[in-house]
Amino acid sequence: MTSPDHPPSRPGGLPRCDGVSRRDFLHLGTLAPLGLSLAGLLRLRAQTGLPPATKGAAAEACILIWLDGGPSHLDTFDVKPDAPSEVRSPFKDIPTAIPGLRICEHLPRTAALMREIALIRSVTHELGNHDTGTRFLLTGHRPTPSLEYPSLGSIVARLRRSDSPLPPYVAIPNDGVGGDSNAARSGYLPAAYSAFNVGKDPSSVPDLQPPPGVSFDRTEHRRAMLARMDSLSRAVEEGPATRDRDAFYEQAYRLIASPEAKNAFALAQEPPSVRERYGPSRLGTGCLLARRLIEAGSKFVSVIDTGWDTHQQIARELPDSRFPGSGKLPSLDRAYSALVEDLRHRGLLGKTLVLLMGEFGRTPKLNAAGGRDHWPRAGFACLAGGGVQGGRVIGATNSFGEFPVERPVTPPDLASTILQLLGIDPSRELVTPDGRPMKILADGAFIHELT
Amino acid sequence: MGLPVNHPFASGVPSAILLLFSLLFTPAQAEPAPFRTSILPILTKAGCNSGGCHGAATGQGGFKLSLFGYDPDEDFLRITRERAGRRVDYDRPEESLFLQKPARQLDHEGGRRLPRDSDDYQVVLAWIASGAPHGPEDLHVSGIDVAPNDILLPDPPDTVSLRVTARLSDGSHQDVTRLALYTSNDEAIADVSRNGAITSRGRGLTSIMVRYAGQVAAARIAIPYATSTTSADFTIRNFIDTRIRTELARLGLDPSPLSADPDFLRRLTLDLTGRLPTPAEARAWADEPGSPERRAGLIGNLIARPEFVDYWTLQLADLLLLGGKGSDDPASRQYHAWLRDQVDRNTPMDQLVRDLLTAEGDTKTVGPANFFTLSNDPRDLSEHVGRMFLGTRIACARCHAHPNDRWTQEDYHQFAAYFARVGRDGDRIQVRQRGEVDHPKSGFPVTPKPLGAPRPSHASPIPTSLSLRSEAKVGEGGSAIAEPGEGPPLRSEAKVGEGGSAIAEPGEGSSLHSEAKVGEFDRRAEVAAWLTSPDNPLFARSLVNRVWKHFFGRGLVEPVDDLRPTNPATHPALLDALAHDFAGHRFDLRHLIRTIATSHTYQLASTTTPSNRLDDRLFSHAYLRELPAQVFLDAIVQATGVPHRFEGQPDDIRAVQLVGPQVPSAALEVLGRCDRVGPCVPSGQGGGLAKALHLVNGSTLHDKLNAGIVAHLHDSNAPIPEILEELYLRTLTRPPSDEESAAWESLLARAPDRREAIQDLFWALLNSREFGFNH
Repeated sequence: MTSPDHPPSRPGGLPRCDGVSRRDFLHLGTLAPLGLSLAGLLRLRAQTGLPPATKGAAAEACILIWLDGGPSHLDTFDVKPDAPSEVRSPFKDIPTAIPGLRICEHLPRTAALMREIALIRSVTHELGNHDTGTRFLLTGHRPTPSLEYPSLGSIVARLRRSDSPLPPYVAIPNDGVGGDSNAARSGYLPAAYSAFNVGKDPSSVPDLQPPPGVSFDRTEHRRAMLARMDSLSRAVEEGPATRDRDAFYEQAYRLIASPEAKNAFALAQEPPSVRERYGPSRLGTGCLLARRLIEAGSKFVSVIDTGWDTHQQIARELPDSRFPGSGKLPSLDRAYSALVEDLRHRGLLGKTLVLLMGEFGRTPKLNAAGGRDHWPRAGFACLAGGGVQGGRVIGATNSFGEFPVERPVTPPDLASTILQLLGIDPSRELVTPDGRPMKILADGAFIHELT
Repeated sequence: MGLPVNHPFASGVPSAILLLFSLLFTPAQAEPAPFRTSILPILTKAGCNSGGCHGAATGQGGFKLSLFGYDPDEDFLRITRERAGRRVDYDRPEESLFLQKPARQLDHEGGRRLPRDSDDYQVVLAWIASGAPHGPEDLHVSGIDVAPNDILLPDPPDTVSLRVTARLSDGSHQDVTRLALYTSNDEAIADVSRNGAITSRGRGLTSIMVRYAGQVAAARIAIPYATSTTSADFTIRNFIDTRIRTELARLGLDPSPLSADPDFLRRLTLDLTGRLPTPAEARAWADEPGSPERRAGLIGNLIARPEFVDYWTLQLADLLLLGGKGSDDPASRQYHAWLRDQVDRNTPMDQLVRDLLTAEGDTKTVGPANFFTLSNDPRDLSEHVGRMFLGTRIACARCHAHPNDRWTQEDYHQFAAYFARVGRDGDRIQVRQRGEVDHPKSGFPVTPKPLGAPRPSHASPIPTSLSLRSEAKVGEGGSAIAEPGEGPPLRSEAKVGEGGSAIAEPGEGSSLHSEAKVGEFDRRAEVAAWLTSPDNPLFARSLVNRVWKHFFGRGLVEPVDDLRPTNPATHPALLDALAHDFAGHRFDLRHLIRTIATSHTYQLASTTTPSNRLDDRLFSHAYLRELPAQVFLDAIVQATGVPHRFEGQPDDIRAVQLVGPQVPSAALEVLGRCDRVGPCVPSGQGGGLAKALHLVNGSTLHDKLNAGIVAHLHDSNAPIPEILEELYLRTLTRPPSDEESAAWESLLARAPDRREAIQDLFWALLNSREFGFNH
C-alpha cells in the first residue's frame, strides 16, 4: 500500500555491482539510500498537498516543557492564599507583572515575565492515572485500548514541512513520559515520526560524529554496502517494521551529513553568561538545547522534567530546603524564564510557541505526608509566544482550587489550540497503517481568549 | 443505603395519566419502569453520563451523573431529589427539566438527546408520571448475552444485526438491543451502528464491544480474505495447529510453507536462549534435513541449556519489574538469584506466584520479598498484581467503574484490601496487625474479595506464611476452590515449602506463637490461592498469552495486559486450550514452551504468500520481530567475539544475565532496554533515530570491529570465501548465497585495505535487516 504515511517500498532491482569501485558505491549510495530518498519523500509530501497554514497562524515551532508527574497547581500558578491551612500552599505568594495576578514566591523571574505568558487556570479532565492523563494531554484523545494515537510532537513532525536535516521532533532526554512509554510517541503514525531521544546529558548528545578512524566517505560507503546487503537477502521481507527501521537510518545519515545540524547540538558554543542564565540543571540545559534546535529547524522539542509527582513533603521537595535557591521550583523558574526571554531577545518568540504543563493538578487538601495526590479536575497550563497574547489569565477554579468555576479547558481544547497555533487543522485526516482515515482530533475547540 | 422502593409521590399521580400511558404502551410496560434497569440505560445510551457531559468528574451545568452510570443510587437521588426535586415534575411530567433539557425544549448545551417523538422519551415520561420510582431495590442487570457472537460475514459489504439480551437479577430477561452501546474494535474491518447493525468494511478479524448497564460482552466478526485455501502442507503437530488451521481456512488464508532449516535454527535459538547459534552449531545443523523429530530434539536440547534459564529469568524479571524502582542493588541481586533458581528448577508458575505474593522478610536475604517493594500502597500493589498475573487493567476502577470491563470501584478496593497489611520497615517486608483499604465513598474499611469471584468459603483457616514454611501442601488453600476433574491432580505434589523453606530466616521458626498470630491477619495467602487456582480463568490465560507473544510477536489477546470480555482473543478456543493444558500440566513453563515451539504454526516461514501478505493476526506466517536490546547486544558480542563490559560486572557476563536496569549501560539504553519502571513496550525508550545513530557512529559496534574475529580473520590471512562464510554464519546463521558471494568476493579482493574491507562488510552484516530481526 502506498500512502503518504507509509512510503512505498524501496525501489528493488539494484544493478549488479560486480567490480564496482568505491566511487560507484558512493554513487549508489546517493541514488538509492536506505528506504525512500529524501527527494522522493519531499516529492511525496508535496503531492499529498500539505495544508496552507491555518489563517493567521504565527507559530512555526513549539517547545514543550513537560512537568512529568503532575505539577501542583496550588503551589505554582493557582495559589489560594485565603484558603484554610490544609489547602493553602506552604509557600507565600508574590505579585507579578500583571496587576492583581499573584503566583508562588519560588517563581519570581516568571512572575516578572507574566506579560509574555498566558495562564490557563482551568485545565480539567477526569483521568487520574499518570499514563492515561499523560496520553490525554499529549495526544488530545481520551486513551482507548484499540488504537494508539500520535502525540502532538509526532503530528507536527508529520505535517510541518521542514527542509532542515534536523529531526523535526526531539525529546530531551527521551519520550518516555507519564509512566507510559507510548504517550509521547507516534501512535498509529509510522515510527519515523517519533521523537529523537537525545539522551541523559543535553550538553553532550552522543553519536553525532563518525567514530575515530572512520571517515565520512567510509560511512557513506558502508551505507551503500548495507543497502546492497539488504537487497540481496531473501530472508526478510519488506513491511512496516523494516520501513520504520530504514527511515531511522535515513534520518541518521541526513543528520551526520549536515555540519549545521550537528552544530545545533553544540551547547559549548553558547557564551557562559547564557548558560548561566538558563541554570545548571538538566532542565535548564535542556531548554537551551531546545532553543538551539528550534533555531536550526526542529519543529517540536519536548523538554521533560521529572519529579513533579509530589505525594510527600511539598514544603521541602519543591524548593530544596537543604540548598536554598535549588530544587524543582527555582530551577524551573530559572530555565523557563530564561527560555522565554532568550527567544524574545532573538526575535523568535513570535514564531515559537512555548508550553508549560503536566498531566494534572494535585489534591487541594494536603495529605498526611505534607504532599498532594493526583487531581485531574483542576490544573494549569502556560502558553507563551507563537501568536499567544501574554498577560492573560483564562479560567479560574473555586476558592479551594478543586474544579473550574470559569471557562473549563479540556485536554482536547488544549491540543486543538496548540495545533491551530502551529497552523495545523485538527480536523484534517491522517491515515492509520491499515488505511483508515482518522481525524487528527475528534474533539476540542480553539481557546479564543489566547489570541 | 436505604432507598424507598416506591417513591412517596407515586400514590399522588393522577390516575388519568397512568391510564393514558397504559393505553399508549404495550402491557409489558404498564408496570412502572424501574430506574436502574430501564431509565438509567436510556441516559447512558443517549450519552448523558459520558465523560464529556454530565459524567465528567465535575458534572456539567450543575448536574452531575456517575460516569456511564456506575453509581445508580447516587444518580437516582440526583435526578429525583437534588435541588429540591426540581428536575422532575410529577404533576406535569412533560414539563420536567429532566425531559425538557434533553428534548431541547429548553436550552441544552448537549443538544437534543431525547427527541419528543422517541420511544425513550415516552418511557422516561411515563416513569416520571408514575412518580419516578426507584423500583425494586436490589434489581439489577447481572449479565448480557449477545447473539450471534461469532459471525462470519462472507463478502463485503454485508450487514448483520446483533441482538442483546439482559439477564436480570430476578431471573427475567430483557431485549436491550436498542439500548446497548456498541463499539467496533477495528472500524477498518467492521463498523457497527447505534442499533447494533454490523457492516463489513474490510477483511480480517475483529470484534464488537457491547456494553449495557455496567455489563459487557463482545461479538467476534470474521470477514474472509478469500473463499478457498490450500493448506495441504500444513501438518497438525498438536492442538495449536488444529485451531490455527481452522481459523486460517475460515478466513481464507493460505499458510506460508514451513521455515527453512537455517531460519528455524536461528529463530528457535534466539527465542529459547536469547542468543545466536554458533557457526559450529549452524554447520552441524546443516548436516542433515531438520525432520520434525530432529527439530523436536533441538527444542529439547535448547530448553535444557543454562542459557534458557538466563533468558527466561529475564522474561520474568521484565514482567515483575524487578529492580525498576525502590530496590537497592543487593536486594535486587537476591531477588534475581531467587528468580533464576525458580526457572532453573522449573518451579510451577502457580507456586512461584504464590511464593511471591506471600513473601516477607529482609529484602536483602529473602528474594521474593522484593516484590512488595513495588509500592507501599495496597492499591498500587493490587494494580500490579492484576496486570502481571491476571492480565487485566483495573486502574480505571480506582475512581469509577471500568467503562469497558466489569470491575466496579467496590471490586477494586476489595481486591486492594488483600494487600493492606503489607508493610515495609527499612529493608524488611512484614505483615502488620492492622491495615485496611477504605471505600472511597463510605470511608469504611472494605472486606477483601477476589476480583470477579466470591470470597473463598474456606476463609478460615486460610493458608498462612506459617503453613508455607512448615512444608504444608499447597492443596490446603488451593483444593478448597479447585474443581475435581481438571486433569491430573494439580496440587498434591507441588509443595509450597520448596520456595518457602529457602526463604525462612534463622530464628524465625522458633517464634511459632507470634507467627500463628501473623497468619490470622495476613490476607495474602487467600488471594494467592485464589489467584493461582486452576479455576481462575485469568491466571493461566494471561501467562500463556504472554508466552505466546514471546514466540509470535503478537498475543492471542492484545495488549497482553488487557484481557477482558470486550477484548476477545483472535483465537478464543486456542487461548482456552493452551490455558487448560498449562494448568493441567501444573503450570509447567517448559511444557508450555515446548508445546508452542513444537507446533507447525511456530515453525512457519516468515515470508508471505500472495494470499496471506496482509494478515497480521491469524498467524498464517511468522511475523518479523526486532531483536530485544539485550539479545541484540549479546548477538553483536557473539558475532564479533569481543565482550561488552558492564561497570562492576564480571568480564564475561552477557546482557541477558544482568540483574536489571540498575546496571548502567549506555548501549542498552540506546538500544531500548526495558527500564522496568512501567510495563515495557517492545521499543522501550531507546530505538529509533538514537539507535540508528549509535549503530552508525557509536562505540558499541566500532570497538568490536577492531578486535576479535575481525583481527583474527585479517591476521590469519584466510582466503576470501572462507572469510565470507565465517562472517555470514556468525551473523545470519547461513552461508552466503552465490549472488552474495559474487558481490562481496570481488569487493574484498579489490579492497586497498583488507582489514578495513572486512570491517565494513561486517558492519553492514551487523546492521542488516536479516541480522536485526528474528524472522
